Amino acid sequence: MTSRSTGLLYIVPAFSALLLVLFSPVFYGVWFSLHHIRFGTVGNFVGLRNYSYLLTDPTFSGTISRTVFHTSLSVILTVAISLALALWVHSLPPRRGFLVQMIVIIPWITSTVVATLLFKWVFVSDIGMAMSILRMLNLPDIQFLNDPNSAMGLLIAVSVWKRLGYALIILLAGLKSIPEDYIEAASLDGAGAWQTFQHIILPLLKTPLLLVVIVLTLSNINTVESPLVLTGGGPGSATRILAIDVFDRAFVNYDLASATSLALIMFLCNVLLVLAYVRLSKWKV
Amino acid sequence: MLRRKTARLVMGAAIAVTALWSTTAMAETVRMWTFLNPEGTAPREVALAQIVKDFEAANPDIDVVVEPQVWDQMTPKFLAAHGSGSAPDVIWVVTDFLGDAIQSGSLADLNELLVNNWPEEKKADFKDAYWDLTSVDGKQYGIFTSRNYISLVYRPDLLAEAGINPEDLKTWDDLRAAAEKLTVKDASGNVTRYGFSAAYSEQQADPHPMIPHILASGEPLFHPDGKANFASDAGVKGLEFYTQMIKDGLSPSQAATWTVDDLFEQFASDRIAMIQGSAVRISTLQSKLGKDKVSMSLWPGVEAGKHSPAVMAGWSVGIWSGSKSQEAAAKFVDFMLADPGDKLWTEVGGQIPGMKSTLTELKDFISQPGNEYLSVAATGAAEAGWLSPIEFSVGGYRQALNRATQQVLVEGKDIKAALAEAEEHFNRQNGR
Repeated sequence: MTSRSTGLLYIVPAFSALLLVLFSPVFYGVWFSLHHIRFGTVGNFVGLRNYSYLLTDPTFSGTISRTVFHTSLSVILTVAISLALALWVHSLPPRRGFLVQMIVIIPWITSTVVATLLFKWVFVSDIGMAMSILRMLNLPDIQFLNDPNSAMGLLIAVSVWKRLGYALIILLAGLKSIPEDYIEAASLDGAGAWQTFQHIILPLLKTPLLLVVIVLTLSNINTVESPLVLTGGGPGSATRILAIDVFDRAFVNYDLASATSLALIMFLCNVLLVLAYVRLSKWKV
Repeated sequence: MLRRKTARLVMGAAIAVTALWSTTAMAETVRMWTFLNPEGTAPREVALAQIVKDFEAANPDIDVVVEPQVWDQMTPKFLAAHGSGSAPDVIWVVTDFLGDAIQSGSLADLNELLVNNWPEEKKADFKDAYWDLTSVDGKQYGIFTSRNYISLVYRPDLLAEAGINPEDLKTWDDLRAAAEKLTVKDASGNVTRYGFSAAYSEQQADPHPMIPHILASGEPLFHPDGKANFASDAGVKGLEFYTQMIKDGLSPSQAATWTVDDLFEQFASDRIAMIQGSAVRISTLQSKLGKDKVSMSLWPGVEAGKHSPAVMAGWSVGIWSGSKSQEAAAKFVDFMLADPGDKLWTEVGGQIPGMKSTLTELKDFISQPGNEYLSVAATGAAEAGWLSPIEFSVGGYRQALNRATQQVLVEGKDIKAALAEAEEHFNRQNGR
């Protein structure tokens, strides 16, 4: 037996498990989406009819645009805030820096459902804490969960608050890996803080930044717990984004065909994002 | 000596293990999916736990395993499990998907399994609109339990405080006037208690309260071909009645995003005096508020003396057509829904009786203060009720109407346009 075939033999069990757990549901989903589905069972082959039904659904374009809006704003805010926090924590003495890190990480390690419920109870109706604060300050009432804009704003706020800890850890690790000599040299050359950040720190943070952006984008696109618990996709369709649309189609409307088709479109987006990461990570500074 | 002792010990252990194993091996398992958890403390859950315990004591060769599910996903999940051959032996099917369940061939014919063995008096005891709904082409596909009548649930103490007699709520205008009287504000002008509310979230949606308005007008909710008929004049008037109450501050605007559970929480917290509520949840509300603080009445009508039909619902208990334990399952279903189960559901669970004889035998119990809602719901079911059709799927109609309400309240959409869009969405979803 050659060493090559011996090597292959070692990876076959792990690869088989991977195939079974990761890939076979995707292949089954594709096959499922090409057939008529009735009562949860596979009927006649219908080709791309389920996809064309999905793409001609009048609500589909709204769902896509809301998802793009929610995801891009969540990612931009999370990256901006976590980068600022990372720079600040990096400048703190070790103990204080550790304490701040711990506080910021807590939302990340909290269950998404629990975290969203906490948000909901702060902002719900006129018995929530937010309303009490507004009234204490003699400000007009805001029905946070009833207004389409504030409901979407809250959903983005939950997303940012929840993922800040993760982004901070990655960016902080990236910052710590930048040799101090570069910063010193820049300082000796008369570069200001902003110039140092723009021309030294940011380019050297390219890889962790890219990782954070891609992971946060994937996470935001695929999250269903927050919109489900916070708004249920409402009011109206104001917070109906891709993941909760898949959930509603499958488990509320029992439309398994369009739910599977939409889930596969989401899967394709995920794959394209990962490929983009792999491609961009090779980009030299 | 030691060897003999050891040998005796080993033999004794072997006999014990064999006896245990053979007993376990002989016990047949019946799996049941329901939304009730026998470990729970709600009255219906306590009743179910008692029924399972009593059945297992009477039938030691049958183990009943209850697997609680989320109610609004249970029936679609069952239909998918039927397709994959892994469905439970006993299933509680929701009315909205009953037609789908029957057409899918997932339910066994109960005539063969138990009904044909019943005496004629027992068959007559069950016969009513619910029974007829599950009887298709000479086969019986389910027996209804947890019969629900969705109507006006109110706080009799708060109504009495405001000088309102519930029997005077004869018309929709009377209901609105009562809601005005019952809405209370504090010194700063903030509402501390609303007169009336329903819940309009698409998640865990109850039927919309505008439906009685449509049905009272004589219009059907669905055309004979299964297409929705939401945007009729009666539909527009019905939706306008409730959205106007919200705009006038008699109902909370937050209700646009409330689930039914949110609504009941608000009602139990003294924040709302009257709600659209289900008869099956009254016992739970009473356990929080007290028996004398929760009551039910029939919907008012367009004119005095004629109640608007309320949506009736319930859970049709069926046996999976692919079950390998159909006989054991049938035995359990019989015990659970007939004698002694029906009495337990009523006395312990606070449910509307499924058998006419239970209604008669428990007359004294039902007439006790706090239990009158059982009689109201039973009367309503007989005289002013509507069951969703099973000839075609109606899944999604509740969500469609709630979404229309949200569009009117939140986006300011025109009522007729919102209902027309709801019709289109429902028809498209159901392939009509």
